[in-house]
Amino acid sequence: MKTAFALLFALSTLAFAQVENGKPAPNFTLTDCAGKTHSLTDFKGKTVVLEWVNHECPFVEKHYSGGNMQALQKAATEKGAIWLSVASSAPGKPGAMSPADAQAKCTAVGSKATAYLFDSDGKVGKLYGARVTPELYIINPEGLLVYQGAIDDKKSTDAADIAGAKNYVQAALDEVLANKPVSIAKTEAYGCSVKYAK
Amino acid sequence: MFPVTQRLALIVLVFVLAVVPSRPLSAQEVDGVTLVKASLIASTTTVVPGQPFDVGVLMEMAPDWHTYWENSGDAGLPTTIKWQLPEGWQAGPIQWPLPESKVEPGEINTYGYAGRVLLVTTITPPTEARGEVLLRAKVAWLVCKELCIPGSKEVELRLPVGKVVAPDHTEVFQEFQSQLPSVSPPPYRLEWGRTGDLLELQITGLPATARTQFFPLPTENQTVGHPISLAPDRIQIKVQGDLRGVLSVEDAATSQSWFVQSKDVVPAALPVPNTGLWLALLYGFIGGLILNLMPCVLPVISLKIFGFIKQSGDEPRKILAHGIAFVVGIFTWFLGLGLLIVALKAGGSEVTWAFQFQNAWFNVVIGSVVFVFALNLFGVFEVVLPGKAAQAIDTASSSTGLGGSFFQGVFATLLATPCTAPFLGTALGFAFSQSAFVIMGMFAAIAAGMGSPYLLLSAKPGWLRYFPKPGAWMERLKHFMAFPLLATLVWILSILGAQRGAEGIVWFAGFLLCLAFACWLYGAYVGPLTRPLVRWTAIALALAVAAGGGYFFLGKQFSQIGIVNSEGIAWVPFSQAALDAEQAAGRSVFLDFTADWCITCKFNERTAIDTPAVRTLFAERGVVPMKADWTNANPEITATLKSFGRVGVPFYVIYSPGIAPVVLPELLTEGILLEALKKIP
Repeated sequence: MKTAFALLFALSTLAFAQVENGKPAPNFTLTDCAGKTHSLTDFKGKTVVLEWVNHECPFVEKHYSGGNMQALQKAATEKGAIWLSVASSAPGKPGAMSPADAQAKCTAVGSKATAYLFDSDGKVGKLYGARVTPELYIINPEGLLVYQGAIDDKKSTDAADIAGAKNYVQAALDEVLANKPVSIAKTEAYGCSVKYAK
Repeated sequence: MFPVTQRLALIVLVFVLAVVPSRPLSAQEVDGVTLVKASLIASTTTVVPGQPFDVGVLMEMAPDWHTYWENSGDAGLPTTIKWQLPEGWQAGPIQWPLPESKVEPGEINTYGYAGRVLLVTTITPPTEARGEVLLRAKVAWLVCKELCIPGSKEVELRLPVGKVVAPDHTEVFQEFQSQLPSVSPPPYRLEWGRTGDLLELQITGLPATARTQFFPLPTENQTVGHPISLAPDRIQIKVQGDLRGVLSVEDAATSQSWFVQSKDVVPAALPVPNTGLWLALLYGFIGGLILNLMPCVLPVISLKIFGFIKQSGDEPRKILAHGIAFVVGIFTWFLGLGLLIVALKAGGSEVTWAFQFQNAWFNVVIGSVVFVFALNLFGVFEVVLPGKAAQAIDTASSSTGLGGSFFQGVFATLLATPCTAPFLGTALGFAFSQSAFVIMGMFAAIAAGMGSPYLLLSAKPGWLRYFPKPGAWMERLKHFMAFPLLATLVWILSILGAQRGAEGIVWFAGFLLCLAFACWLYGAYVGPLTRPLVRWTAIALALAVAAGGGYFFLGKQFSQIGIVNSEGIAWVPFSQAALDAEQAAGRSVFLDFTADWCITCKFNERTAIDTPAVRTLFAERGVVPMKADWTNANPEITATLKSFGRVGVPFYVIYSPGIAPVVLPELLTEGILLEALKKIP
């Protein structure tokens, strides 16, 4: 009985895929606030940043309240990169919003992301193995995953910590955009759990 | 005055400050419920200068909300405590109790605390502390249900600095300190292996029914996968490099945890804190000193001193030389004894010897020895060295000169054995759990304690007149000394209770009763004056009682605790709701009203209920085994019992769909139960 449970558990973790650096990032198609669909394949030849987001999470709030995330988004998109904020909150759970509310929120916080995408069934989140918000992934112009993990190295909800933190995403983006290999390609993301349904 | 624009700006600023609420950090409330109540408590009423003491931040979480462990897992954030202490005061790190592992949708695994938790920190005050102290700390946490909300609170506590201390909040400190992972190695063999990214831990020596769990403590930026239990004794973790973590082992009655590190394949020796060692040595010295007050030792002291004086012809230096030789003899005896223990210990494997107090059987042995020694001190029976042996020793040490004094020292200690054995035996038992260094230190301390009066008196024979005169008080003192031993027994029982539950204590106490009777038989009927026939009959009877008690209480009952149960029936805990639900689903329910302190209940469970035949029939007939545990007062169970006109346990009922509940007799047999189960439609 116990062995059966263990096997079941092992299998369930296998089913919960995790993407690997240096491998092609799996494709997905999601809709944005306006109902428009976006696929990863639409952005071939461009650097793509995936940002798991939940505006009710204090860790996300930390980076939006002081404009840190928006600045990153602005720097990335100005250099031709695509920034996709992905919300995997299941309906009824913290962070789940209607497209209209999400649009209003994005405007209110001054998001510079290319799009805010709804992943309400959590499929894309689980495909990428996103566990927390914020958690970031960077895909290079060849479509390979080159960074996954935290935004920076200060695990806290205190916006005052941003000033002294090492921003991994900034560093990785600079390297990708300069056609250099990413020196810190995998870090332990910190934040609230992604609010999946099951 | 300010110019108009500046005034305007000021008004706007004031307005903004008034309208925009500051983030609700300190008073976290959701729907009127405070999410986390944090307070600072101390384990002592008074601070003693220079003496470390424990304080704890008690966090009480609202139902369904939780805060996090030092490794929060995939999400979350550990609670932090920032101390603001007066100059010279120092705070140690947070001592984290074992967390609960929680898996959220999407295989998100976090480690944290629900309900309440005490985060203990050791505070060291400076030696010059005076008056009163104000301990302050800023506690910051993240509390989550589905929503996560950061919170913080300034907690503070005023404590007087003084000399008279009393423990405070003992219950809550004990509750959470017992959940701290141990820094000593676990009493199992841990083998770490690696295949690529996968680190695998293999544990040998686990109890058959144990459940294990691994809580990783990765270094900063070390990414670690979820520990996967392939079997209770095999855990797999995806991680690069060496990994530290906490291994918890849960048995039927106990839950223990240890800090482990993937590279330590062989457990290291038990670390002994320095302060603990010095205190132990001091106790050893005092213990040795007390040995001199025992009835068979005290009268000898003055005799020996007079002997030295006689031999030395009143020459002070010679007297002192004899005294020193005698004391060297005492040291030789005790250090020899210490070496013997060290050798014995080395003979057994490190793993088995170093952790006896975690082994219930070791506690049974030590507890029995301590109890028998207490009976001995009370005078229930006496151990007499056979006359011939005593005589031989006497002749060997009767030679004169310094050599004679040396041997007298060796043998005086041996001859004192009838009085000192209870203490030495106990000390020996405890010594087994220590390192060779500590053992030798302890024995040297005892020898120093026992030898110091001889040394003192041979240096200043005149001081003999200040020496307590032998008398009836010595006998009383001997009796009195039994009480510390009984207190030790209580302590051992408390450990045993944690290991094997109330049942373990009961069966062990049953065995102690047999031992007491055997000792009384020996004391009453075995002596130099009893006839050989009576003597040998009494010895045989005493041995039979002790062996019989050991066979029944320990072999038959104690060793079976928890084993039959956990292999067997998967009990569903009783609640009226659960019972109604099972019945609504059309299932039959066997309801067992029981309690840990009810021996009949336990006996029935072992002999009549948790048997292979009953288990098979439960499965065949789809009967749900439900247990109403009345060990602690439970109004719901009491009410259900009353509805059947009962006021106590054991009580057994079978509920089947469509018929009235069937009540079974209290003295249940397997046959009766099988018969009743077969009647279920």
